[in-house]
Amino acid sequence: MAGEGPREVSPDLVAALFVAAGLVAAGVFTAAWRRELTAALAGIPLMFAGAGVAFAAIARFAASGGPQLFGQEFAILLAIAATALVALGLGIAGREGSR
Amino acid sequence: MDSLHAIGFYVSSGVSLAGGLGVALLTRRGWRGAALGLVGLGLAGIYLSLSAGYAAVVALVCFAGCALMFASPQYRRVDAVVGPLWRQLGGVAAALLLAVLAYSAFRGDFAYASFYGATFGTANLGRLLFAHDALATEAVAVLVTAALVGAAAAWRARDRAR
Repeated sequence: MAGEGPREVSPDLVAALFVAAGLVAAGVFTAAWRRELTAALAGIPLMFAGAGVAFAAIARFAASGGPQLFGQEFAILLAIAATALVALGLGIAGREGSR
Repeated sequence: MDSLHAIGFYVSSGVSLAGGLGVALLTRRGWRGAALGLVGLGLAGIYLSLSAGYAAVVALVCFAGCALMFASPQYRRVDAVVGPLWRQLGGVAAALLLAVLAYSAFRGDFAYASFYGATFGTANLGRLLFAHDALATEAVAVLVTAALVGAAAAWRARDRAR
């Protein structure tokens, strides 16, 4: 429209949620598509990362009132839990699998 | 958010999504581990541009650990018994999930609030983790302990069976 300046391309909640959606979908695709069970385990940290990005973005852009760090806290716990689940899965796979 | 943050956010998003595709599609375990490390790097950048510096450090360490586990020579493969039809259905389901989540994200501009936290905010996060939500932290700690003990027991049983 005439008179309007260039639109500012700044990340907002929608952009962050798009990235989170992409990461979750990539994780689900990895878990579903890989023929190897151990390779499918790599989908877990991807899905958890997507959820973490969504939580951190809501804490950054949309959490009003109260402590605004709940999203970051949940993202941290999700990253640690994903690592633990991958370690357990690869350990069990190492017992059963072949090189 | 200034332009430097915006550039950091979009570049990190691209890096993490490219790494995610690499994890899904690359076949060699070394490349897959590298792709997972790339996801961690991009994720840390996203968290940094979202003023979540401590979460960025934790995510970087956790994803580096995951990448090392996947790229390690101790890695063993276990083949699934699922047929190609189910795998293709899973791929279609992932595409549908992406469509639903993208639509939800598109409708996600309903709320906006100012952020008053610092870039790192470690003290406040520590208070949340160890005082306000100590039970959740302990639950994750139990999960980590159980996972590490289980993984160690599985490796020892495998070595004894040789």
